[in-house]
Amino acid sequence: MTNRRLEIEVPPGEPAVVFRRFVDAPPSLVFALWTEPEHLRNWWGPRQFELVVCESDPRAGGSYRFVQRAPDGQEHTFDGVYREVDRPRRLVRTFVYAGAPEDESVETVTFQRDGGGTLITSTSVFPSFAARDFYARAGMEAGLRESHQRLDEWLKAIDNETNRRQ
Amino acid sequence: MTPTTDELSIVFAALADPTRRAMLDRLRSGEATLNELALPFEMSVQGVSQHLKVLERAGLVTRGRLAQTRPARLSSGGLQAASGWLECYREFWEESFERLDEYLEDLQAREDGS
Repeated sequence: MTNRRLEIEVPPGEPAVVFRRFVDAPPSLVFALWTEPEHLRNWWGPRQFELVVCESDPRAGGSYRFVQRAPDGQEHTFDGVYREVDRPRRLVRTFVYAGAPEDESVETVTFQRDGGGTLITSTSVFPSFAARDFYARAGMEAGLRESHQRLDEWLKAIDNETNRRQ
Repeated sequence: MTPTTDELSIVFAALADPTRRAMLDRLRSGEATLNELALPFEMSVQGVSQHLKVLERAGLVTRGRLAQTRPARLSSGGLQAASGWLECYREFWEESFERLDEYLEDLQAREDGS
């Protein structure tokens, strides 16, 4: 399959966000793209944000740190520690946005072989609903566009998910 | 007005229920009374009224003031809060993945060339 649509799910009753995306490369390469600084600096984050710091040491106990400069000049720092690294299948790492240092979330990413490519699934679990919502809004304040056209899509996504589970 | 984080959680909780989402879909085509909303769901008017209250609290629906029927209609407040939230998350990852696809093509082209 080569459907490269990004699926995002906000599971009800849990302060989490899940996304899935197919990438047309084997898990070994996708895992490297996801964790090695020389790869990360080529793709992580929106184009108009400059990635001024990109460090990543993908070993259990190793840390990572990204600093993004927004078009308005403001810098946003994201960092965390790798808790589990099972190359090239799975990783678990903490995630902290410097704008809300007390709200540490835990991200689990799996890399599943899918034909010649890889299905990436990322699940971020926040310490509270308020923390999840704050993180999302911090991005909005960084100058990203607001619109409601995509709500339809999202409602459909939730419906599909609900149907799949039934 | 910027909604508080609590309000956002209320919106997500309201949207999590399939009956309430179906009610919102129905209201997209125009306002409706309790009886009209109850019709397709084989549900009591009281049941629909409960769901409507949840949607109202989330800022997804407003009710008219006509004493008898009080028709319900969609309200943009809650939707804006929820979709703005998702929009920025989606934009971040959609654009990152587009860049990742392009970078991957570059890598593969380089490999083929060498």
